[in-house]
Amino acid sequence: MFLEACVLATTLCGFFGIVLKKNLVMKIVAMDVMSTGVIAYYVLIASRDGLFTPILDGDQTVAYADPVPQAVILTAIVIGFSIQALMLVAVMKLSRDNPTLESHEIEKNNTP
Amino acid sequence: MNDLSIAWVTAPFFLGFLIFLVPKLDRVLALLGALVSCSYAVWVFLQPSPIDLQLLDRFGVTLTIDALSGYFILTNALVTAAVIFYCWQTDKTAFFYAQTIIIHGSINAAFASTDFISLYVALEVSGIAAFLLIAYPRSDRSIWVGLRYLCVSNVAMLFYLVGAVLVYQATHSFNFAGLDAAPPEAIALIFMGLLVKGGIFVSGLWLPLTHSESEAPVSALLSGVVVKAGVYPLVRCALMVEEVNPIVRLFGVGTALLGVFYAVFEKDTKRMLAFHTISQLGFILAAPVVGGFYALTHGLVKSALFLISSKLPSRNFKELQKQPISTPIWIALVIASFSISGFPMLAGFGAKVLTTKNLLPWQVIGMNVAALGTAISFAKFIFLPHQRSEPRDNPSTMRGFWLAMVVLLGGLIAANSVYYQAYTLKNIIKPLVTIGLGWLAYWFIFKRVTVKFPRAIERFDHLVGVMSLMSIVLFWLVLT
Repeated sequence: MFLEACVLATTLCGFFGIVLKKNLVMKIVAMDVMSTGVIAYYVLIASRDGLFTPILDGDQTVAYADPVPQAVILTAIVIGFSIQALMLVAVMKLSRDNPTLESHEIEKNNTP
Repeated sequence: MNDLSIAWVTAPFFLGFLIFLVPKLDRVLALLGALVSCSYAVWVFLQPSPIDLQLLDRFGVTLTIDALSGYFILTNALVTAAVIFYCWQTDKTAFFYAQTIIIHGSINAAFASTDFISLYVALEVSGIAAFLLIAYPRSDRSIWVGLRYLCVSNVAMLFYLVGAVLVYQATHSFNFAGLDAAPPEAIALIFMGLLVKGGIFVSGLWLPLTHSESEAPVSALLSGVVVKAGVYPLVRCALMVEEVNPIVRLFGVGTALLGVFYAVFEKDTKRMLAFHTISQLGFILAAPVVGGFYALTHGLVKSALFLISSKLPSRNFKELQKQPISTPIWIALVIASFSISGFPMLAGFGAKVLTTKNLLPWQVIGMNVAALGTAISFAKFIFLPHQRSEPRDNPSTMRGFWLAMVVLLGGLIAANSVYYQAYTLKNIIKPLVTIGLGWLAYWFIFKRVTVKFPRAIERFDHLVGVMSLMSIVLFWLVLT
C-alpha cells in the first residue's frame, strides 16, 4: 500500500509539473517524471506474486515475478524515450527564436 | 487467412522503410500501400465471419477484423490514396511520403487490434508520425503546434497505460473484453486517454488548432483518419462491453453538440471544419453499431473539404463572400457539403438515416439539433459566390487535386449503394426539412451575428488540466 502511494505521488508530481512549470524543458522533464511513475507501477504490479527474475531453472518452487507487465512496459519505455527525444529536438528548434523557452510566450507568438 | 492479415498489417511499415532506401519510388510505394489496404478491406467485407487472431497466448496480441473495422480500414485507404494524389506533383520529399504510409500502417494496426497494448503501440506510432507531418514545414508555428499535439497525446497515453495495467491486474489479460471485470478507475483512465486521442468532448479541444494550422493534405489525413484511431476503440469497447455502452453514447451526444456549437459561429474555414470534425466524431459514437459506415462517409467528406479549402482564395468567410471562387471548385465544395448535411443521393444521407435509426430515445433531440447545426455550418460554404474563371494554381497540381476529388467524392457516391434501403419517402423528407431550416437560420441569424469565443480553453496548460477533471467525471460516470 505504501509503495502504491509513492508511485501515485510520483505520477501526480509529474502531472502537476507539466501544468505548473513555465519552461518547456521543465515540462518535458516533468513528463519524464510522470512516465517514471507509470513504469514503476507496472513493475510493482509485476512483483505482486514474487520478486524472482522469471527464468525457468529446474527448481520451480520459487515465487516468480510476472513477466508480462515487464515485457509490456519495456515497449512503453522505448516509445516514451523516443517521444522525449523528438520533443527535445523540437524545443531546440524553437529555442532559436524564443531563447527563454517560456511556454506562454511561445504560445502567444504562434497562435493566430 | 491469418498470414494474409499479418502481411497486411506489416506491409505499410515495410513500404515506409523501403521508401527511405529507394526515395525515387516514394509516391508509387506509398500509393501501393494504400491500394493493399483498399483491397484488403474489400476482402474483409466478403468474408462470412470475422477474422480473429490470437498470437502467442491469452496475454499476447489479439486482432479482430470484421465489417466494422473494414469500414475504418477502407476510409484509411481512400483518404491516404487521395492525399498522395494531391501531393503527387508538389515538391514534397520522400520523408513526407514515408511518414504518410507509416501513419497509414499504424492506424490500420489500431483498427485491427483488440488488446490495450497493441492499441497503445499503434496510437503512439501514429502520434509520432503525425507530429513529423505537422512539423514538416519546419516553421516555428508548425513545430509548436506539433509539439503541443505530441505532448497532450503523450500525457493522455500515460494515463491510459495505468488503466491498462489495472485491467491486467483484474483479468490477467490485456483484451478489451477484460473491461467488464475491471475496476471503475481502470475504465475511467483508459477512456480518458482515448477521449483525448480521439478528440472527443472538451478533452478534444486540442484538435481545432492542430487541424487548422497544418498544411491541407496533413489536415485531411488528421481529420479523415488519425482521430478515428482513438474513436474506433471506444466504439469497439461499447460493442464488446455492455456496461460502457451508455457512457460512449452520452459522450457521442455531448461531443456532437459541443462541436457544432462552435462550428456555427466560426468565421474561419479550416477552424470551422476542425470543430465540425469534433461534432461528427460524436455522431460516430452516438450509435456504435453503425459507427463504421458513418466514419467512412465522414472521413471521405472531411478530407475532401480540407483539400478544397486549400484551393480557396482566403480562409476567412467574410472575404470569401466578396471574392468569387471558380465554378468547378465550388461544385466539388457543394457536393461535399450536401453529403455531410445529409442530402439524398450521397452517402452522407444513408449514414445519417442509419445512425438515427440506431439512436436511443434520449439521444434523438440532441442529435437532431446537431444535424441542424451541421446544415447551418455548411450553408456558409454552399452560398459562396462563384464564377467561371481559371484557377490560379498551375495545371499539374490541379490534376492531382481533381484526382483526389474523384477518389473521395466518387467514393461518396459509390458508398450510397451500401444502404439503399434508406430511400423511403419519410427518410427523404426529414433531411430536406432539416437542411431547409438550417439554411433559413443561416440567412436570417447566423450570417449576421459575429460571436467570438475566448480561446483560453485551447491553451496548452488548460488542455492538460482538463484531463484531470475529465478523469474524475469519467470515474463518477462509471460508478453510477
